[in-house]
Amino acid sequence: MPKNITIFTTNTCGYCVMVKKWLSAKGHAYEEVNLDTDPIRQQEAIALSGQLSVPITVVTKQDDTQEVVVGYNLAKLAPAVS
Amino acid sequence: MNDSTELHDVVMVGAGPAALAAALYTTREDIDTVLYEKGVIGGLAAITDWVDNYPGFPDGLAGLELADKLQKQAERFGADIRLGEVQKITNTGNLKEIETTDGLVRAKTVLIATGSDYKKLGIPGEEEYYARGVHYCATCDGAFYRDKKIVVVGGGNSAVQESIFLTKFASHIDLLVRGDSFRASEILQQELKKHSDKVTVHFNTSTERIIGKEGKVTEVQGHNSKSKKELSFAVDGVFVFIGLLPNTGFLKGSDIDLDDIGMIKTNESLETSMSGVFAAGDVRSGATMQIASATGEGATAALMIRKYLEPHA
Ligand SMILES: Cc1cc2nc3c(=O)[nH]c(=O)nc-3n(C[C@H](O)[C@H](O)[C@H](O)COP(=O)(O)OP(=O)(O)OC[C@H]3O[C@@H](n4cnc5c(N)ncnc54)[C@H](O)[C@@H]3O)c2cc1C
Repeated sequence: MPKNITIFTTNTCGYCVMVKKWLSAKGHAYEEVNLDTDPIRQQEAIALSGQLSVPITVVTKQDDTQEVVVGYNLAKLAPAVS
Repeated sequence: MNDSTELHDVVMVGAGPAALAAALYTTREDIDTVLYEKGVIGGLAAITDWVDNYPGFPDGLAGLELADKLQKQAERFGADIRLGEVQKITNTGNLKEIETTDGLVRAKTVLIATGSDYKKLGIPGEEEYYARGVHYCATCDGAFYRDKKIVVVGGGNSAVQESIFLTKFASHIDLLVRGDSFRASEILQQELKKHSDKVTVHFNTSTERIIGKEGKVTEVQGHNSKSKKELSFAVDGVFVFIGLLPNTGFLKGSDIDLDDIGMIKTNESLETSMSGVFAAGDVRSGATMQIASATGEGATAALMIRKYLEPHA
C-alpha cells in the first residue's frame, strides 16, 4: 500500500475522472489538487511530471520514494500503487 | 477456451454513447451485458467540453455530465462495465471468444462500439513534444495554457469547438486551416466569430513543423498554399484536431469486413460480416459522428441483438 496518493486534475478532464474511479474501486484514498481552482500549483505539477497534461498521479511509497504517472494509464498505475 | 470460461449474452467493446445506450436497452430486456472500456467511460463525449445538440437538454450540458448520466442509466438496469481492453474477437461457431486484458470471455453476441481516436499530423516535432506542447485533448490540457499563445490545427467541428473552449485560457490562438474554408457547422463558425479578438484564422495553411527549445514548444512553421509563403508562429503549444481514425486495429486479420478507411461494414441490421457481431456509432461505416446518432444506433443494435438471441437462445 502506498503512503500517499495525490492526483492533479482539472474540472473538464475525463481521464482524471477515470483515474479517481479506478483508485476508488481498488480501495485507495487520494488527495486531489484541482488546477482550475488551484492554478498556483501548476508549476509543481509540471516539475513533477515534466509534462503539460493531466491527470498526474503522484504515488508516495512507504520508503518515501515517489512514482509519477501521467494520464489514465492502468499499465503504469496498477504496479505503482501495488 | 473451455466450458467454464465466462459466458455472456452480449459483450460490448467500448463504453461510449453507442454502447451505453445499447446496454441500457439490452439490460432492460434482461440480456446479460458486459462492457469493456479501455479509456474513459462515456467515450469522446466525456472529453468534450460542452454538448449543445443532444436532444432533451435545452440548455446543453457538459460532456462529462452527459457521460455520467449515460453510465448511471445503463448501470441502473444491470450493465457490468469493466475497465479493460478487447484485443481479439474470434468466431467459434455459435459463440464468440473475446480476448481482453482481463482474460478470456465468451459471448453469444458482440457489439463493437469502439469509436475513433484523434489523427496525428505526422510532422517533425509532433512526437518529440507530445504532452510537452503538442496536445489532442483541450479539456485535459487547456488549463496549462493560461495567458499563453497557441496554435490550433484543423477546420472541422472539433477544431472550431475546441478553439472556442481554449479561448478561456489562451491569450491568442492562431487557427491553421488547410482548406480555403471551414468544414465546421455554421453555428460554430458564428460562435467563433465572437472570439475574433483572440482567434486569428489562417486558411490555405498547412502545418509543417513544430520547433522547440529546452523541451518546450516555441514555434510552429506552416506554409500558405495560395501565397506560397512560409509562415512562422511563435507559440507555447499546439492543439491538433484534424479528424479521427476508427479504432479497429484489434480486428486486423479477423473475419470482420472493414471499408477503405478501416470502418466496420454492417448490413441494415447493423450486423457485421461475422454472424452475431454487430457494430454501432462512430466506428461503423456510414456513421454520422454525432452523440445522438451513436445512441440511436446503439438502441437499434440492441434490438437487433435481442432478435438474434431469440432463435439462438
Ligand atoms: C472534440 C469533439 C467534440 C465533439 N462534440 C460533439 C457535440 O457537441 N455533439 C455531438 O453530437 N457529437 C460531438 N462529437 C462527436 C461525439 O463525441 C461522437 O460522435 C460520439 O462520442 C460517438 O460515440 P461512440 O460510442 O460511437 O464512440 P466513442 O465516443 O468514441 O466511444 C468509444 C469508446 O470505445 C473505447 N474503445 C476503443 N477501442 C477499445 C477496445 N479495443 N477495447 C475497449 N474499449 C475500446 C474508447 O476508449 C471509447 O471510450 C465530438 C467529438 C469530438 C472529438
